[in-house]
Amino acid sequence: MTDASCTLPMLRCAECGRLDSRQRVICTSCLSSRLLEQAVSGEGRLVTLTTIRRAPTAWRDRAPYRVVVVDLDAGPRVTGRLSPNAPEPTLGDRLQLLQVEGQDLVFGPETLID
Amino acid sequence: MREVSIVGIGSTSFGRHAGTPIEHLGVQAAAQALIESGIDREQIGALYLGNFISGPLNGKEVLAGLIADQLGLPNIPCTKVEGACASGGIAFRHAVLAIASGQCDAALVIGVETMTHAPTAQTTAALNCAMDNEHDGPSGLTFPGLFGLAWRMHAQRYGTSREQVSAVVRKNKRNGLHNPLAQMGADLTDEQIAASAAICDPLQLYDCCPASDGAAALVLVARERASASAGGRPLPVDVLASVQTRGSARIAGHADLCSFSATVSAAQQAYAQAGLSARDVDLVELHDCFSIAEIIDSEDLGLVPRGAGGRWAHEGRTDLGGTVVINASGGLLAKGHPVGATGVAQIHEVVRQLRGDHPNPVRNARIGMTHNLGGTGVACTVSLLGARG
Repeated sequence: MTDASCTLPMLRCAECGRLDSRQRVICTSCLSSRLLEQAVSGEGRLVTLTTIRRAPTAWRDRAPYRVVVVDLDAGPRVTGRLSPNAPEPTLGDRLQLLQVEGQDLVFGPETLID
Repeated sequence: MREVSIVGIGSTSFGRHAGTPIEHLGVQAAAQALIESGIDREQIGALYLGNFISGPLNGKEVLAGLIADQLGLPNIPCTKVEGACASGGIAFRHAVLAIASGQCDAALVIGVETMTHAPTAQTTAALNCAMDNEHDGPSGLTFPGLFGLAWRMHAQRYGTSREQVSAVVRKNKRNGLHNPLAQMGADLTDEQIAASAAICDPLQLYDCCPASDGAAALVLVARERASASAGGRPLPVDVLASVQTRGSARIAGHADLCSFSATVSAAQQAYAQAGLSARDVDLVELHDCFSIAEIIDSEDLGLVPRGAGGRWAHEGRTDLGGTVVINASGGLLAKGHPVGATGVAQIHEVVRQLRGDHPNPVRNARIGMTHNLGGTGVACTVSLLGARG
């Protein structure tokens, strides 16, 4: 496998330090608008997953695909997808981020990395 | 704040109403409720309408005004409220507040949706507007998918099995068979459920509510104006609590995906408002948009011990004659889910139970509960209703 781990661009509040997604214009903790870009590790643990077999129109040609919820080691919980190449994981397994396009996050098992 | 009572109810059947304009369904349900209440239209001080997607699916907005026109209502405030699947419950609460605060003495609540005329892709796209499409949409998540995520965790943590979840489906489908308003009651076997199409693991087709058309309506008045039994009319039903709460709009915002915090806090506030506890509840109409949702909701509402929702359903403890009767109407799974109508229709069903006038009667029912949940648990309403006499 040649998939490489990547980091996740996020925002950290310059006032209170809260880490949140890039889809924010103010800090949800302290309302500050001083949010600084920060890339965090894409490594984390699988919380839960489902295989979507009946997909919305825009996703139909990709179905079936697996949606995952991951608790990143850096703190935040995120929603993403599991790489089609990844074997079926068990809840609690270690995962890492393989690809980021906007908020489309693709995860795979750590073992995919050499 | 003044106390509020329900003095008139109306409903269309749920299912396919092909070719019927959405306004007509709302008007039919509302006219029934008005006539039953005996309240003159000139006395109605406000209309609150629950609807989710009349814009995208029907090309119609200002729906409250459109329906008020056809009902011949006076020039009163007519307001559509939207909270995805909780739109109807939110409309009810606003009407309760309008009366409780003294803004008016009588109010009309309507919930309405038409969905079956639209192609599935269009309906799915419209329903997906209730998701955080900056965060969860980009992963290709769907609403059945959300409940697939929850089921997987519930199974892992509490051992909830396919057979236990199927008990919910079988019960609600069976209850729907005897409810003339229900869209798709059925007598199902575990084998039929397990053999139905895979939607989002572990959800299968029978775990999902259908797309539906339908409307329901209620007339509310200040309790001091709800006479015990005027002119042979049905007894009023009293609103003991009406609560609305917010939960996270994002999947990742839920600390526990086996629970909806909006439901937990709404139930706690409702019990406190009414001076009641979960043990006092004889029956509940709760938001079983998917089979696993009924199990989670029953735990979140405190009606069933945490983690025991599957087991209780399987043991028949949530069936008619059980410890707490859940979704005697057939619920969303069998009665149907015309999204904006559901929260109002749940109250319609509970009122009939508390009047002793329901096709699936809960014997000696005194206290009924409704639970309406929108989006990814972003909006929730819980009501407690009490019988007179």
